[in-house]
Amino acid sequence: MSFGSTTIQGNLRPKLTKEELAFVKQELAEQLERYQKIVQEQEALTPQREKWVKEFLHRIQTRGYHVHAGIKRVIPKEEVRPRDGRPLQVIF
Amino acid sequence: MARPHIEPFVDRDVGFKKLNLPGFKKGVHYKMLSMDKETGACTMTVQYDAGFKQPPGFSYSEVEIFLQEGHLMIGDKRCEKGTYIFAPAGTSLPAMSTDEGCLALVFYNFGPPSFQESDADHDKADKSQKRTMVDSYFGMDWQVPTLFPQTAPGCLLKILHLDPKTFAMTFLYCMTPGFWQDNISYHDVAEEAYHIWGTSWMMQFGDLPTGGYFYRPAYINHGCFRSDLGILAIGRTDGDLHNYFHHDPFSTPEENHHRAAAKLARMKPALYQWILTNEHNHLPHDFEYPNDTYDTSGYDSGIHMHDDGSSHSHKSNGPHSHLNQKKKAKK
Ligand SMILES: [Fe+2]
Repeated sequence: MSFGSTTIQGNLRPKLTKEELAFVKQELAEQLERYQKIVQEQEALTPQREKWVKEFLHRIQTRGYHVHAGIKRVIPKEEVRPRDGRPLQVIF
Repeated sequence: MARPHIEPFVDRDVGFKKLNLPGFKKGVHYKMLSMDKETGACTMTVQYDAGFKQPPGFSYSEVEIFLQEGHLMIGDKRCEKGTYIFAPAGTSLPAMSTDEGCLALVFYNFGPPSFQESDADHDKADKSQKRTMVDSYFGMDWQVPTLFPQTAPGCLLKILHLDPKTFAMTFLYCMTPGFWQDNISYHDVAEEAYHIWGTSWMMQFGDLPTGGYFYRPAYINHGCFRSDLGILAIGRTDGDLHNYFHHDPFSTPEENHHRAAAKLARMKPALYQWILTNEHNHLPHDFEYPNDTYDTSGYDSGIHMHDDGSSHSHKSNGPHSHLNQKKKAKK
């Protein structure tokens, strides 16, 4: 899948020009750098995120979990899946 | 995987670059937000300098433009901020200009940015879609989303464009001040969004401020959510948006994918069983769109996760089954 309408099969000039190819190559290289920077930044956020997760698990067992629109339900302890050492990866 | 998981990226942190591609006039600067690795299709913040002028012309790609700041003359129409334009591939737009300059978000859906001067459409222009232009700020009302399950109260929508076949959509959304939603969500579709104004927070990624952007492939956890002062944002999906809510912060995209399939099997058992017979030649066919073909040669989820937590892209090679891959029981 990709963004945009599905009524036609894509770009009307399917073969990219020399300039477009160079542009895409350069932008994809920079995009990879941006991605790697994001991975590092998000890795650095891990201790803070672990705290946020604890607070979330506490709130859904006290104030409630949003099931649908404004409908909330307090989650009983036995419905909280144990972590069992699972990592908390957020960027894929 | 068409585009990588870019989340979050704040465009205010980087400078504009000059757009030097042939065809474009002087005075166009951009910040790349994300680009499709296969086609060069992309989402960019674009600044048109004061005095920018462009003759009538078309793009070889479908283009969507959202005006964030300043104004843009399109033909003799003065477009203010909040204007949204959808231009099918190859349809000629009137001359554009701006005296004071303007800031836009531009989506090239099928390929890299392109502009061909012409006051007529390309002879293969996509005639099945209409060029549209709306004043999304003053010409449309906010709507309560009607999905089930639905986002928490205080998240409102304006649908700017909806693809009739895939239900892929471009939409404006807002969160009211004090918005909160205590669940974790994922979808079967990719999502991308850009914050026109305001800061919201997600449990995975932290704060996303004004100028904040994300492109997130399908099945990736996001939420819970909160916004103290509210936000105004523009978002897109590449297909029908269903909210899969849950409360396991550690579930993987692969588990989320399995859970979505289980839900389909429960809710549409006849369809699910039919899909499983795909290897016996039951390719999708729609009598309303008899000429459409469906790519079933390989499926790229964009993500593939290992038990050690690392991930990479996974593309299947033709029909195969995941049915016998027993998941390690973790509960
Ligand atoms: Fe979402």
